[in-house]
Amino acid sequence: MTMKKIGAVAAATAALLVLAGCSTPAPEDAGGTDITLWLMGGDTPDALRDYLKTEYADATGGTLTIEEQSWGDALSKLTTALPDAENTPDVVEIGNTWSPTFTTVGAFTDISDMYDELGGDSLLPSFVEIGEVDGANYALPYYFGSRYMFYRKDIWSAAGKEVPTTLAEFNETAASLKTATQSGFYIGGQDWRNGISWIFANGGELAVKDGDQWVSTLSDPNTIEGLTQLQSLFQSASLAPVTEYDSTPWVNINNNEATGAPEAATIIAPGWAHWSIGDLAPDPNDDTKQVATWNDEVFGTFVLPGVDGGVAPVFAGGSNIAISAASKNQAAAKELMKIIFSEEYQTMLGENGLGPANLDYADSLGDDQFAVALRESAAGSKLTPAAPGWAAVEGSGLLEEFFGKVNEGGDIPALAAEYDEKITALLNG
Amino acid sequence: MSSSVTLRRSRTPYLLLLPAVAILLLGMGYPLVWQIVTSLHEYGLAQQFGQPAPFVGLENFITLATDGALWVVVARSLAFCVITAAVTLVVGTLLALLMTAVTRTARLILQVALLLAWSMPVVAAMTVWIWLFDWRRGVINYVLDMIPGVELYRFQWLASPITFFLVASIIVVWMSVPFVSFSVYAGLTQVSEEVMEAAQLDGANGWQRFWSIILPLVRPVIAIVLLLQLIWDLRVFTQITMLQDAGSKASDYDLLGTYIYKLGTSAQDFGMASAVSILVLAITIALSWFYIRSLLKEDQQ
Repeated sequence: MTMKKIGAVAAATAALLVLAGCSTPAPEDAGGTDITLWLMGGDTPDALRDYLKTEYADATGGTLTIEEQSWGDALSKLTTALPDAENTPDVVEIGNTWSPTFTTVGAFTDISDMYDELGGDSLLPSFVEIGEVDGANYALPYYFGSRYMFYRKDIWSAAGKEVPTTLAEFNETAASLKTATQSGFYIGGQDWRNGISWIFANGGELAVKDGDQWVSTLSDPNTIEGLTQLQSLFQSASLAPVTEYDSTPWVNINNNEATGAPEAATIIAPGWAHWSIGDLAPDPNDDTKQVATWNDEVFGTFVLPGVDGGVAPVFAGGSNIAISAASKNQAAAKELMKIIFSEEYQTMLGENGLGPANLDYADSLGDDQFAVALRESAAGSKLTPAAPGWAAVEGSGLLEEFFGKVNEGGDIPALAAEYDEKITALLNG
Repeated sequence: MSSSVTLRRSRTPYLLLLPAVAILLLGMGYPLVWQIVTSLHEYGLAQQFGQPAPFVGLENFITLATDGALWVVVARSLAFCVITAAVTLVVGTLLALLMTAVTRTARLILQVALLLAWSMPVVAAMTVWIWLFDWRRGVINYVLDMIPGVELYRFQWLASPITFFLVASIIVVWMSVPFVSFSVYAGLTQVSEEVMEAAQLDGANGWQRFWSIILPLVRPVIAIVLLLQLIWDLRVFTQITMLQDAGSKASDYDLLGTYIYKLGTSAQDFGMASAVSILVLAITIALSWFYIRSLLKEDQQ
């Protein structure tokens, strides 16, 4: 019996350990209307956040709370929070490609009446379009980014390589720069957001609308051609794990402090990554950190070239912004939208290297090599399919899985057929 | 004992059970009922945002039963939970035996070390584990690579399912061993010294004493601990999802927990996700049933 008692105590202890509670703080009204803004990841710099808080307080007397959500959890948090009037953020930044998923289920407020006031036709058209349902505006662009190449001038010139003018030339050069310890071009095997550039460049698509139904088009000959190039590029030029899908690519192009050499001769990264690329030195303010100082002698940028020269279409990164339909503070949320789309805030976005939603202020990006590369690559950039189920496709991890299997050396037509079936099942919501 | 006394007495235990049952119903009943209801409906993102959910009967379950991918995940989860729970139990029991054999100081050090491992928050521990197994800078590769003949320079532990689940299993074992050791150790302290002395006098060696005397005596503790481990390891989620963040999101790396999570919160198919959850519940009940039945049998004896 003693033993059984111990067993019972163990079970009871276990039961207690399993019980975990969570509490939600109740919102409080003091002075003006207090609202919450969800921002995704750390892309919006602190100075811009402070500006929003101050301006909002001045305009309404209320407090603006900014909550940062990580990109990885954001979809599931949005799904649970947006329908719930008690917990929803009032204004929310979303990945541009998620817009159709949420607009089609009515998660956002129709803001067509403010469209002209917020910038109207000056707003980035492709992002406006993806946030529309039947001509009404639900989500508007917040900022756009674009991806271009960062390369090590020292390594490229030592090998006698020039900046490539066609995609084939790039693939070849990248492969020739690979050594046992250095990727010619560093790309994770499951990194589909960068990998799709090769599909787009070859005229392929991930999905198209056939009548009123979306279908996955991985088996399209152009898509297959792009995937074939990507597979051979991954195998011949990249040392990254075939399972890597999201990384901080700049750590690979900076010198590794242990070896004094970089992991990669070339990377593809969002434009703002240039703040993290350069010669590393200890941070004078915090000796546990390092700062990177851009060095034109060692580092350079170019835009991924297309199949016949020109610019290859890359994934148009960026965000949309919308007001939650369940929010109880619609008027206050609209006030915040006015601040975000003001000339001053749009200019601040550009000065920080984020493409402003209102193209009238695109000059604020400046004219250094980063701004030039951003504009050039953004001009040809493409969005993922505007299918209602697109967020589910991204959330399911199917694309990571598919690209990983392709880059591992799998049979592309067979894999494409298999994943077309899986993805089409999700695309229409 | 007369039957009238039994009748009067028999009410008290039920009254005493009431609070426990009430808490259970409140805490678990609502989500469970909601889950069962959801599993019988088509419930996606549109329903989450207020559209009516069409009743589909057992359709979700039929889709699941005919979906080969699910059964692969179920088999993988069962294998993972059985192996991990068994290893945990063996290591935990060995450590408990060690505790009874060493000096007071050594035992205290051991116990403090185990307690620290037990009290470490999962996310903090996982962060450190992921650093240890990092393919470029991890200590594990660095140390193992120094052994002559072992080529583990930049070995990618999380890039193939076998090594991925090996790492996951090591971490889960590390996290659950303290609980097993302490429970078994508590059981071992109850084994009477007279019995052990008698066995020694009769000429039983160490192994015989362990196998024929200690083990049968602590069997009830081992049984409940094993059951709990099986259930916990079947539902393991945090460790797997964090390893997936560091490694791969592909379905080859899914156990039931992450499979349901992806189906529900990420792919927004709450109906199907609920149906799989109910399947997990059924497996858990089936597992526990063995234990409950053996408890009932012992009571009857």
